[in-house]
Amino acid sequence: MMSRSRALKRRFGPNRAQTSDIAPLSAEGLKPLRAAVVGAGAISLEHLPFLQASDRVDLVGICDLSEVSARVAARRFDATAGYTDVAQMLTESAPEVVHILTPPHSHAGLVRMCLEAGAHVICEKPMTPSAAETRELLEFASERGLRLMENHNYRFNDEVLSLQRVIESGEIGDVCEVDIRMALQIRGEGSRFADENVPNAIHLMPAGVIHDFITHFAYLMNTLSGRADWERVSAAWSNHGGGELFTFDDLDATLIGPNAHGPVHGRVRFSCRTAPDLFSIIVRGTEGQVSTDIFHPFLEVLVPRPGGPQLTPIVNHIVNGTRLAGSGVRNFAQKLLQHGPYHGLPRLLDLTYEALQTGKELPVTPRDIVEAADLIDALLAPEARR
Amino acid sequence: MSLRVFITGATGFVGRHVVAEAVGRGHHVVAMVRPASSTSALDAMQEAGRVSFARGDLATSKGLAEELAGCDTVIHLAAVKGGDFFSRFAGTVIGTENLLAAATAAGVTDLVAISTFSVYDYGKRKANSVFDETFPVISDPRGRDEYAETKLYQDELFWAFGAASGHRMVMLRPGMIYGRDQLWHPLLGGEFGPINLRIGAKARPPITYVENTAEAMVLAAEALAERPAEIDGQVINIVDDELPTQADYAIKVKGLVDVPSGIFVPLPVMRAAASSVAAINRRFFDGRAKVPSIGLPDQIDARFKPFDYRNEKAKRLLGWTPKFTLDEALARSASSADLIADRVQ
Repeated sequence: MMSRSRALKRRFGPNRAQTSDIAPLSAEGLKPLRAAVVGAGAISLEHLPFLQASDRVDLVGICDLSEVSARVAARRFDATAGYTDVAQMLTESAPEVVHILTPPHSHAGLVRMCLEAGAHVICEKPMTPSAAETRELLEFASERGLRLMENHNYRFNDEVLSLQRVIESGEIGDVCEVDIRMALQIRGEGSRFADENVPNAIHLMPAGVIHDFITHFAYLMNTLSGRADWERVSAAWSNHGGGELFTFDDLDATLIGPNAHGPVHGRVRFSCRTAPDLFSIIVRGTEGQVSTDIFHPFLEVLVPRPGGPQLTPIVNHIVNGTRLAGSGVRNFAQKLLQHGPYHGLPRLLDLTYEALQTGKELPVTPRDIVEAADLIDALLAPEARR
Repeated sequence: MSLRVFITGATGFVGRHVVAEAVGRGHHVVAMVRPASSTSALDAMQEAGRVSFARGDLATSKGLAEELAGCDTVIHLAAVKGGDFFSRFAGTVIGTENLLAAATAAGVTDLVAISTFSVYDYGKRKANSVFDETFPVISDPRGRDEYAETKLYQDELFWAFGAASGHRMVMLRPGMIYGRDQLWHPLLGGEFGPINLRIGAKARPPITYVENTAEAMVLAAEALAERPAEIDGQVINIVDDELPTQADYAIKVKGLVDVPSGIFVPLPVMRAAASSVAAINRRFFDGRAKVPSIGLPDQIDARFKPFDYRNEKAKRLLGWTPKFTLDEALARSASSADLIADRVQ
C-alpha cells in the first residue's frame, strides 16, 4: 500500500482556497484541527459528513489510490484537495489528524507514516491483526507524544449509552452475564463479503470476515462486563457454509472471568444463518437484566417491581411494552432522518476532536484498545478453540 | 472492415446482444466476463472462434491492459445499477477509471461510451419540449439520485479519455432499453412499498428495443473507426422510432409480463405532492429526511414528464434505423427463439 501510494505522484484540486489561517473558531473558541483522510471507500462515507460539518475540523485532504475516488470525495465533502499519494498529502496539507480508513492489512504502515509526519491518528477497526502489533503502534504514538485511537463507534450509540446508564445506576445490581449476538447475512446474494470475483480484503484477516465485526464484540464485552479479566475463553469457529472464500462464518464463544464484584460469564455469538440481521446485547445482573439491539433499537429492563413477585411480570410488561411502542415511533422517525446504526461515530469523533483540542483524555483510551485486542487474541488462540 | 472489439458487461442483458451484433457484422469480440459469471449465452460464438473471453473484474486493473492489447475499440457497458452509493460508485466509476487507464496503457484509442438519459436535467425544460442531444445535462451531480450521480462521474471520465491526445470517443445515451426478461421498467410506474403508482399515462417514454440498441452501439464503433472526424466527441441519443404512450405500452405487454396492478395518479398531482414533501423536508428537517425516489420532484420529472424524444442524430451520424418495430420486438421477446444465435447466423 505504502509503496504503491508513494509511487503515485499526483495531486488535484484545490477545490477551495486554503482556509486554515482564517478558519473560524469552534463554538468553544477552539482552533479547528487540520484533518485528512486516507481511503475514500465505503466507511469514509461515515467519517466524511462529520469532517465536512464540524467546526472543530478543517478538512484539508482526502487520499485514495483511485484518483477519481479522491477527487469526487474531495468535491462532495468540501475538502481542500484530493491526493493519490499519502506522503505528498502529509507534506502538502500538513494535517494534524489523519483518519486511516483503508483495508485492515494496510493500517500499520499507514499509521506509522502519519505518526512520523507528526499527526494524531484515528484508525478504523481492526487496527491490526494482533494485540502485539496494536501495542507496538500505541507505543510508537506515545513515544512521539501523539494520540492514536481505534474506532469503537457502537459504544457511543444511543441504545448502548442507555444500557450503560442502567448498569451504572445499579438498577440491575452487579453484572453477572453479558450476551452479545450478531446475525448478518454475509453469505447472501449481493453481500460484499460473498463476491467471488474480487474477494474482500477482510478475508485476509485471521478471523476472516468475522474480523470485520469482532472488534465491536470485544470492546462492548469489555465495557459492559465492567472490564472483566477473561481467565477462561472457549471459542468454536466454524465455516458452516463451506467453500474456499470464507475462513469462518460462525463464532460461538464463552468467556469467564472476574470483574471487581465477582465472576462474569460472557457469550459472543455470530451467525449468518439466522434472520433477520440483528445485533443484540443482554446484560444480566444480580437484581435484573437490561437488553437492547443496535440494529432494532429498543431498551428493555426487567427488574423487581413494586407489588412484589406476583405483580413484577405484569408491571415489567406494561413498562417495557410502553417503551417498545415508543421505540417503534422513534425508530420510524430516525429511519426517515437517516439516524442509522452508525450514529455513534459522529458523537465519538466530536468527543475525540474535543479531546485533541483541549488535551483531555480520548473517549477510547489506549487501555480500551489493548484490552479489546487482547480479547480478540484470546478468542483466536489455539488453546481457546474447540 | 473488421474490428477487434473489447466489450465490457458482455454477458449482461444488453451486452450479450451487442456481442452477437458485433460478431454478426463480422467483427471479433473480446468479451470481458467476471470470473464467477456464466458465459453460456456466448459459448457457441467462442467455440466458433469469433469471441474470446477476458476473465476479470473492473474493480481491479490487474491484467486488464494485457487483455486489451491489440483491440481497436472498447464498448463499455458494464455498470452497477443497484446497492448503496459506494457499491454503485465502485462498480461504475472506479471500474471505468481502471478500464480507461488500462486502455490507455494498451494503446487502445477508440471508445464507445455508454451513458444514460438519467444524466439529463429534466426540470430545465417545459413538458412536451423537443428532447434531443441539446437537452441540458445536470450541472452538479451532488444531491441527485445515486444512479444519476455515479453515471455523471462516469461521463466525466469518458470526456477526459476522449480529450487525451490521439483518443477518440463517441458517447451513446440509450433511453429505456426493453427486451426479453425486461419488459417492465421504472419509467412505467413507481413502486411505493407494495403499491404501484401509475403516474401519468399519456407520456411517451424514450424506449428502445435491446436488439435495436445493440446495433446502434456496434454502428457507433464502426463509424468512429471509419469517420472519426465526424463522430469523435459526439453525444448520440438512442430511442426507437415508435414511442407508445405509457398506457399503450402497458396494454401491449400485458400477458407477456406480470404487469403490476396499481393506482393511477395524474402527473401534476404527483408532482405537487413531491414538491410539498421536498418543502417540508427543507423547512423542518434541513433536507436530511430520506424520501423514497418516487417522492423526489427531479425523479418524477426524469421518469414521467412528457417530452418529444428525437433520434435524427443517431440516424444521420450512424446510419441507424431501428430494425424492429414495437410489435415485432415484443413478439421476439415473447418467443422461444435463440435471439443471440439468430443474429450471429
